[in-house]
Amino acid sequence: MSCSSTEDLPDQYKELFTQDGVLLKACIGRPISDLNSIGMLCVVQNSDGTKCIEWRPNDLITIDSDTQDQEWAVVNTIGRRQRTLSGNMTSDYAAARARIVRIPLAELKTFKVTRNNQQMQFSTKSGVWQNTFYFQHGNAEIFVAYLKNHVKTAKTRHDRNTYVVVESNIDSQALNKSFTELDIFTENTTDVVWSLVSNFKQRPYETTMEAFSKLTDIVWSVLVYYGNEGLNGKRDVSEEVADLLTKSMSALEDTTSITKSDEYEVITVKPTLPPRPCIPRGTPLSTEKWEGLQDTEGRILEVEGVKQLIFRGGVAHSIRPAVWKYLLDYYPWRSTHSEIRKIQKRKTEEYFSMKLQWRSITERQESRFSEYRERKSLVEKDVNRTDRSHPFFAGDNNPNVLLLQDILMTYVMYNFDLGYVQGMSDVLAPLLLLLGNEVDSFWCFAGFMEKIASNFDMDQAGMKQQLLNLQQLLTFAVPDLAKHLASKDSGNMYFCFRWLLVWFKREFSFSDIMRLWEVLWTGLPCANFHLLICVAILDAEKDVLISKDYGFNEILKHVNDLSMCLDIDKILSTAEGIYHQLMSAPHLTDQIRIILGIPTAANNPNDRNEESESEDLGDEEPGRENARNQANGYTRI
Amino acid sequence: MAKTYDYLFKLLLIGDSGVGKTSILFRFSEDAFNISFISTIGIDFKIRTIDLDGKKVKLQIWDTAGQERFRTITTAYYRGSMGIMLVYDVTNEKSFENIKNWIRNIEENASADVEKMILGNKCDLDSKRQVSKERGEQLAVEYQIKFVETSAKDSLNVEYAFYTLARDIKAKMEKKQEASNPPGARGGTHQLKSNDQQRKPPSWLSRCSIL
Repeated sequence: MSCSSTEDLPDQYKELFTQDGVLLKACIGRPISDLNSIGMLCVVQNSDGTKCIEWRPNDLITIDSDTQDQEWAVVNTIGRRQRTLSGNMTSDYAAARARIVRIPLAELKTFKVTRNNQQMQFSTKSGVWQNTFYFQHGNAEIFVAYLKNHVKTAKTRHDRNTYVVVESNIDSQALNKSFTELDIFTENTTDVVWSLVSNFKQRPYETTMEAFSKLTDIVWSVLVYYGNEGLNGKRDVSEEVADLLTKSMSALEDTTSITKSDEYEVITVKPTLPPRPCIPRGTPLSTEKWEGLQDTEGRILEVEGVKQLIFRGGVAHSIRPAVWKYLLDYYPWRSTHSEIRKIQKRKTEEYFSMKLQWRSITERQESRFSEYRERKSLVEKDVNRTDRSHPFFAGDNNPNVLLLQDILMTYVMYNFDLGYVQGMSDVLAPLLLLLGNEVDSFWCFAGFMEKIASNFDMDQAGMKQQLLNLQQLLTFAVPDLAKHLASKDSGNMYFCFRWLLVWFKREFSFSDIMRLWEVLWTGLPCANFHLLICVAILDAEKDVLISKDYGFNEILKHVNDLSMCLDIDKILSTAEGIYHQLMSAPHLTDQIRIILGIPTAANNPNDRNEESESEDLGDEEPGRENARNQANGYTRI
Repeated sequence: MAKTYDYLFKLLLIGDSGVGKTSILFRFSEDAFNISFISTIGIDFKIRTIDLDGKKVKLQIWDTAGQERFRTITTAYYRGSMGIMLVYDVTNEKSFENIKNWIRNIEENASADVEKMILGNKCDLDSKRQVSKERGEQLAVEYQIKFVETSAKDSLNVEYAFYTLARDIKAKMEKKQEASNPPGARGGTHQLKSNDQQRKPPSWLSRCSIL
């Protein structure tokens, strides 16, 4: 064991950073015997304050510490690792000293990291790589990161792995580092930085939080830094970034209000939604694709995939009769052809047995069965005024009108508690028109009713809940319109009652309603997507409703008059865009999450703050809840 | 915008499903009839301005879904109504019996002074009649409400019914006005003479729970 003393060093210098296990692979002007020896790569500071990269062969070093390892260490932890030269000043020592490689940082022009980050090359004059080092333990990443504390670098355009030193001998202060070189992102591309900074403009709140979580107090320092000097007087990406960032910070100020008092400062952020993406509709599910999705026995295995396709583009009209039976849970997706035949047989028998139940009620029975009589009377009245202008249901003694009646009467027996409620005939008509067949139409209708049965509750609780949820969604997604509606006594959204009760049946033509329904039946992309359809329609009417200062009556009239004037593809696309806006909104509340059926912040401790803002409001009256919704910003002290 | 009327009256059509509320309204507002009407979902209204004793009276007539289930929603639109048409179908006994329920519904909720009228619709369908005109008249006397049989299809008594209801409202209003404005101080505007909907619901509506 040799004695150890840093004082033995011939030159007064300080090791700032060391990396062990680095092989000298190539060095211009050195004999081959010097190469391929293991050593330590360091950043050292000379007594005059200048710094250099130094490589020392291992045989020059003895280390007395038993904590020695072959890994790197940073300067502030190196104290216990006393590295010294050999105690005896021998000729071997002199020879070893001669093998030290030194690269003054002031002269360093470029460096390059290759071979899976394990090789580093240095150059002090352009065109020549004077030194090549191979990192046997780990890789060069940490060394590079440390080096970048001392020299400001830029990546060359043609080679992502080559760094050009643009300024050497800078202080090793984080705030002096260029924003692009902070390495806060795993991807080291300019694009990432660009997208981050442009997001500042559009989503200042979210982006700032993201960035601050990584940057803490650095952002402003970077701004100050770039505010004072440009790079070589030339406007480059970094400068653009800084400009955008400055603008973004003022945008952030626009959306915040600061209340000062003697003891504290309250900063309230008025959250805004991220921009709405424009999502084009897809093409309808084709016959070929549909057939391709079934295995040889007729099973549909990729159920989610099929639903995705249908959500994107709907279903080609020719295969609607087949596909709808699956969407409406008449046929299970994974059933084979033979299983389907059995299901058809069983369901046909079941249907006709229920039909027989009411068909066999005699007139005298009926006269003593008022509940049945009332239902029958309602059904008769409604089928006679359901889509009678459509050729399929037009004219006196139209057999299809009779089919509507038979199916609805059988449904009364199928679900006597619910019975017949106005609106059901509207829901059934397109199904019968498409399927033609009484039994198929009945079971598809029953499947559809499963999805919307709560619309027809005796106490209308389901409708009221949906209208309330719609109001909540609108308040979040289109707050200015929600505010206008509330100011016109229309915050209860009752003017959307018809839309919701029969899923927009009265608002669209037969072909459009078929498209809308099949998309909604997929249950994608979230729960209650039909409410986002409402939001999309209202959003398109926002300017009219607000600019003309429509009141209680005009709002209802305007909404009722939209019937048959709506563009289904545009609405679907807008609704999906709104969905994505909500999903990427940083201030999304649990209330909205619950409506859309997505996990609440309770599962995400980072969002606790929001949770407390929007917890279950219980039976509060809507007015009070509106007030709370509007005040639902972030309050931070 | 220049005001094109002297009075605005809000009227309401109520009654069982399928008695012809929408047909009556369509006849009055468009002077037309369509055999293949669709059922009313939710609520809608139509406007017609009539001339009444030299005054332009704008009638805003609200049409509601008849099924009882929807009543909690439709009553939200009752606020500010000054006249109510209670409609039954002369070919449907049940709808006539239910007039009592509808009246009770109004009495339970409405201010006592809302003008009412009973209409026995579909009187053109004599062969299917289940409710005689006399029974209708008897009921009206019982409740001291005006009564008329109508046919939206044949355009019988529809105009008369609306004019009568409007005239009664106007008379009641002018009487009230006179009472509140002593003779000599007349000519002041009154709250009904305005485009705005009435903000303050009558007492019977304030008790309607909305959601």
